[in-house]
Amino acid sequence: MLRLRLQWPRLFFLTFLGFHSCRFNGVPAEERLHWRSFLVKLGADNLKHAKNEELFVASHKSVYIVYTVLGDICLYVVGKDEYDELALAEAIFVITGSIKDICKKPPTERTFLDKYGKICLTLDEIVWKGILENTDKERIKRLVRLKPPTEF
Amino acid sequence: MADSSGTTLMDLITADPGPASSASGSTANATPSSASASAAASQSPSVPMTTTSSSSLGKTILGEKKSKRATLMQIQNETISAAKAALQPMKTNIMPQKQKKKPVSYSQLARSIHELAATSDQKSSQKQLVHHVFPKLAVYNSVDPSLAPSLLMLNQQCEDRTVLRYVYYYLARILSDNGAQGLSTGGGIPTPNWDALADIDAVGGVTRADVVPRIIEQLSAEASNVDTEFHARRLQALKALTYAPSSNSDILARLYEIVFGILDKVADTPKKRKKGVFGTKGGDKESIIRSNLQYGALSALRRLPLDPGNPVFLHRAVQGVSFADPIAVRHALEIISELAMKDPYAVAMALGKVVVPGGALQDVLHLHDVLARVALARLCHTVSRARALDERPDIKSQFNSLLYQLLLDPSERVCFEAVLCILGKYDSTERTEERAAGWYRLTREMLKLPENDSKSSKDKSQKTRRPQPLIKLVMRRLESSFRSFSRPVLHAAARVVQEMGKSRAAAFSVGLTDIDEGVSINEFADDDFNENPYADGARKASSMSGSTGSKETIASLLASLMEVVRTTVACECVYVRAMVIKALIWMQLPYESFDELESIITSELSDPAWPAALLNDILLTLHARFKATPDMAVTLLEIARIFATKVPGKIDADVLQLLWKTCLVGAGPNGKHTALEAVTIVLDLPPPQPGSPSGVTPVDRVSASDPKSALALQKLVQAAVWFLGENANYAASEYAWESATPPGTALMMLDADKMVAAASSRNPTLAGALTRLQRCAFSGSWEVRIVAAQALTTMAIRSGEPYRLQIYEFLNALAQGGVQSQLSEMHLSNGEDQGASGTGLGVLISPMIKVLDEMYRAQDELIKDIRNHDNTNKEWTDDELKKLYETNEKLLDIVSLFCYVPRAKYLPLGPISAKLIDVYRTKHNITASTGLSDPAVIATGISDLVYESKPAPAESDGLDDDLVNAWAANLGDDGLMGKSAPAMSRVNEFLAGMGTDAPDVDEENIVSRPSVGYDDMWAKTLLESSELEEEDARSSGSSSPDSIGSVETSISSHFGGMNYPSLFSSKPTSYGTSQTSERSGGNRYGSSSSIYEGASSPIREEPPSYASSVMQRHDSFENPMAAPESSSFESEDESRRNTSGNPQFGSALYDFTAGGDDELSLTSGEEVEIEYEVDGWFYVKKKRPGRDGKMAGLVPVLYVKPR
Repeated sequence: MLRLRLQWPRLFFLTFLGFHSCRFNGVPAEERLHWRSFLVKLGADNLKHAKNEELFVASHKSVYIVYTVLGDICLYVVGKDEYDELALAEAIFVITGSIKDICKKPPTERTFLDKYGKICLTLDEIVWKGILENTDKERIKRLVRLKPPTEF
Repeated sequence: MADSSGTTLMDLITADPGPASSASGSTANATPSSASASAAASQSPSVPMTTTSSSSLGKTILGEKKSKRATLMQIQNETISAAKAALQPMKTNIMPQKQKKKPVSYSQLARSIHELAATSDQKSSQKQLVHHVFPKLAVYNSVDPSLAPSLLMLNQQCEDRTVLRYVYYYLARILSDNGAQGLSTGGGIPTPNWDALADIDAVGGVTRADVVPRIIEQLSAEASNVDTEFHARRLQALKALTYAPSSNSDILARLYEIVFGILDKVADTPKKRKKGVFGTKGGDKESIIRSNLQYGALSALRRLPLDPGNPVFLHRAVQGVSFADPIAVRHALEIISELAMKDPYAVAMALGKVVVPGGALQDVLHLHDVLARVALARLCHTVSRARALDERPDIKSQFNSLLYQLLLDPSERVCFEAVLCILGKYDSTERTEERAAGWYRLTREMLKLPENDSKSSKDKSQKTRRPQPLIKLVMRRLESSFRSFSRPVLHAAARVVQEMGKSRAAAFSVGLTDIDEGVSINEFADDDFNENPYADGARKASSMSGSTGSKETIASLLASLMEVVRTTVACECVYVRAMVIKALIWMQLPYESFDELESIITSELSDPAWPAALLNDILLTLHARFKATPDMAVTLLEIARIFATKVPGKIDADVLQLLWKTCLVGAGPNGKHTALEAVTIVLDLPPPQPGSPSGVTPVDRVSASDPKSALALQKLVQAAVWFLGENANYAASEYAWESATPPGTALMMLDADKMVAAASSRNPTLAGALTRLQRCAFSGSWEVRIVAAQALTTMAIRSGEPYRLQIYEFLNALAQGGVQSQLSEMHLSNGEDQGASGTGLGVLISPMIKVLDEMYRAQDELIKDIRNHDNTNKEWTDDELKKLYETNEKLLDIVSLFCYVPRAKYLPLGPISAKLIDVYRTKHNITASTGLSDPAVIATGISDLVYESKPAPAESDGLDDDLVNAWAANLGDDGLMGKSAPAMSRVNEFLAGMGTDAPDVDEENIVSRPSVGYDDMWAKTLLESSELEEEDARSSGSSSPDSIGSVETSISSHFGGMNYPSLFSSKPTSYGTSQTSERSGGNRYGSSSSIYEGASSPIREEPPSYASSVMQRHDSFENPMAAPESSSFESEDESRRNTSGNPQFGSALYDFTAGGDDELSLTSGEEVEIEYEVDGWFYVKKKRPGRDGKMAGLVPVLYVKPR
């Protein structure tokens, strides 16, 4: 669901969505490497001069990839089935928004790693077993702090 | 990658000046031993890593033999005691001797957790946990199970919410299945397989199996806690529980119990929601807690496996639609729509109440959750199309109208999904009728004005003015999406248009072929392109002018849409452009001019940014388009030609060839010539010949200039040559067994001039192909020449007379090398250099010439014999007939070594022999094609197909000529789209979007076939061949441009790499589809390898596919009837007529050493009994145990000579 990799000078941050046919979460281990090199190549080709949060799109067979740059972070979201480009764009929007909230501004590697634990928890609330869960920022924040989703 | 990135990452993480670093100095002395212990643990896995002080260190090592449970308890106790001990002097510190830049090892973090867990009541340790230990632990791929006790302890004792949140997070990670493999979903720094480590007692011997029950126990206790103050934790506990492996039915049952338990409590209570759909900010506490619990329970339910038959499951999900929490509603809808796929009737019945106007489903339309509405669209689509509900049109229409309302949804995602649903595309199964009906729905039903005033934000302005037909609104919507700046939106919109094109194509194809549906579809097609009565009322609102006059028609709507689509080609993102081009290809109609499309593609291809994978994707799209509309063959071939000329280096020869082949079969009689022309154009590409006739631009030369693309281009040329050889006869409809010219007369006209003239006048297509091939045989690169010679032989065998003789002459000339005088005219006309010193093909060609020699010699003798008999006026005796028949069979066998010919019809001795052979056959009761004893038929694997589909094919005359010819050209599966061809399955897979395949990044490895066993076979052929032994391929290689050293490898790589797709081909794809239909594979491999077979032992009269079946033994090559035949690989004469029923005996030819458990060692000369054959292996039994002490096992077919 989440991969962290030091891809100089940018971190490589990858989320898989919708790979749950047969309730499978994520992609098979043997395919991960392929995915990784594919995405790294994609990023290297396209993300050089990208603006922050400019969305890029790619597809491979019926799998969609939406990716973007946020500070030093390359953010990839890969999805299939109901998670098409648009749904992924929404997911990536939520993720970038949360990361920005946590890091206060477009993150550098430094700040990103400093906040890494919290980012993990946030992502855990956004994506739960390969299915997009919460998209509302307030709600995510509450859940990360172990509060009930709706406050009373 | 792990190590390098790992350290840098850790550097970064640990380099931060955290607040805890101040505490380091004073406690440094308290933990040196443990630090070293854990450092040791990380290096040598035999030391337990949970030790925290020097005293406990010894204890744990001693305690290694204890049971795991005891270990577990011990760990916990020690943790506590050690931590308490550590408490005395000072507060604990997670990083002893902290130095900047020194990475924190996993074991250090783990130890810190154990320590801090014991003191979790202290603020400082909580702080450390939250700020240092847990975040850093997250960087690791997985956490080891031995942390679980401490985490559980924290879970019980700690009050701090953030700590607890982390605890749930890590417990979930321990629970989740993949953690055990060391390859969790977590990514990050790789961690070892903890369970494996535990087995060798490295991490205290704690495995997941030990801790998971405890975690589940505790979490389910929490998840069942009804305390309202506790309910946030309850939700998290439930969430963590869903990560538990779903393969364990106990856990699963428990989870269901918990979830349904919660739902029992919260779902049924009389709810007075309704005041706030959006999460109820101002609701009373009780209802909020309830909605939270509803959310938690449904989210958990969504992660559990579906339980289709269970009414409770469905009931709860349906209840969920009315819940207050939007995400709960979304999950409920998703569950229901998945259930609806399985049992639409039950779902529709259960939804009966909520679907009515004012019901909960209507509320979903207003729900601020896009995915919920997407799920609703899918649900509506499934239910409204369900066959099971045919007798309830009322329900169907309810759902249908809901679906139409979703078309006006403000979110593009929902709108597009609804369009796709209406178009009949909602999952990856493609059904033409469904698609056609989808297009009908889109263009006809949607002309109705939209139902009332369902909310619509973007379309509001138009709608308030005047109601418009839905289709128009949808088209508008799409057009406006194409003006978006967001690439995802563009991509999605193009995809929707592509799907529209698919449905449209389906509609046309159904309309053209199917009478029943044809009525309405044709009618609509007319509407479509002339005028649309329905649109009449609608057009007033718009000023757009239709393409046919002033009326606004669907055609005009489409035209304006396509205009926008075309402009999108300007997008800078290749993927968007690719999708747009695909959409354009799909929207292209056969009778429309495709100049625009062509120019778009041409200009696109000049852009070097296109990745090869994407281009091949587009080629596959062309293929799919052709499948949908065979009429477009010529158009599509034109486009494919652009690809071949513009970017030869980037496209996969496989894919291109597949396209050729399909087009060739589907193009119909007059298209065949065009199809073949398209292929030959590839041969005119620059590198082989500088002055090529076709319009080749400098772009080609540039693209082919770098070695990689030059190589690719060469592959392409090879493919084209091979393709020509295989299919020229088919394309030209010229077959020896249909030839009108008797061979005897053709023998007379030995004058080359006349021959060529006669040939070209009789069949220009074939003559043209012949000329091209001849040119290739002279001027191509070494590999191309080989293939060309092979292709020529194939043609010679299959073609009727003037051609055969022509090729015979040519091959002879080629074999002598440099003797070009005989052919001077032919080649002067091509105006090119034939290569100075021969072609180096002599050795390869000589077996081919031999075959033709034998055929001609036999024909001569036959004529002589006939004359003798006529002169003396005597009857043919049985012996004579027998001799004749045997010659015939022998020649057939030889011939089938080179290429496939229909055995029943092919007469190597010429037409005159037909009668005599028939006489013999009837006399001796031999059916012409008994199939089972007919290697050629089996070789192609089509015998099964034939004999299943045609009850009496044995009467050779009963065979459909076209069918026979189609087989001959490898095109057997008459119905264009062979179901059995794996290359097709690749296409289908592509169409169906089997998406989980990881992308191929490495472009040049597309055809990597293990040439397993090739060496064996090679050695074999060297040993075997009785003649031509001294001139094996080496000598042929040495006269070729390649150096000696590289010859063998290049041949084997030739073997390995040259698999061209054909409808019959089986490709051991890298895509991993199961090759169930491999049986038809033989022919292709046969023909690509037969040349080598032939080179070293031309007389081996065996269908070549078995040679390849040996090579392919690791692919799932399966030929149910292969056993008796493949045994004849060694000596066909004796064994060819073996029947499969009887046990076979054989003797080992060579020593064989078993390479695996199921294999059997052989000593040369040993007698064995052959049980059966599988994939090139015999399962044999011996009388007495051999070297390896075994009596039975597998041995390679080649090592045993059956008797």
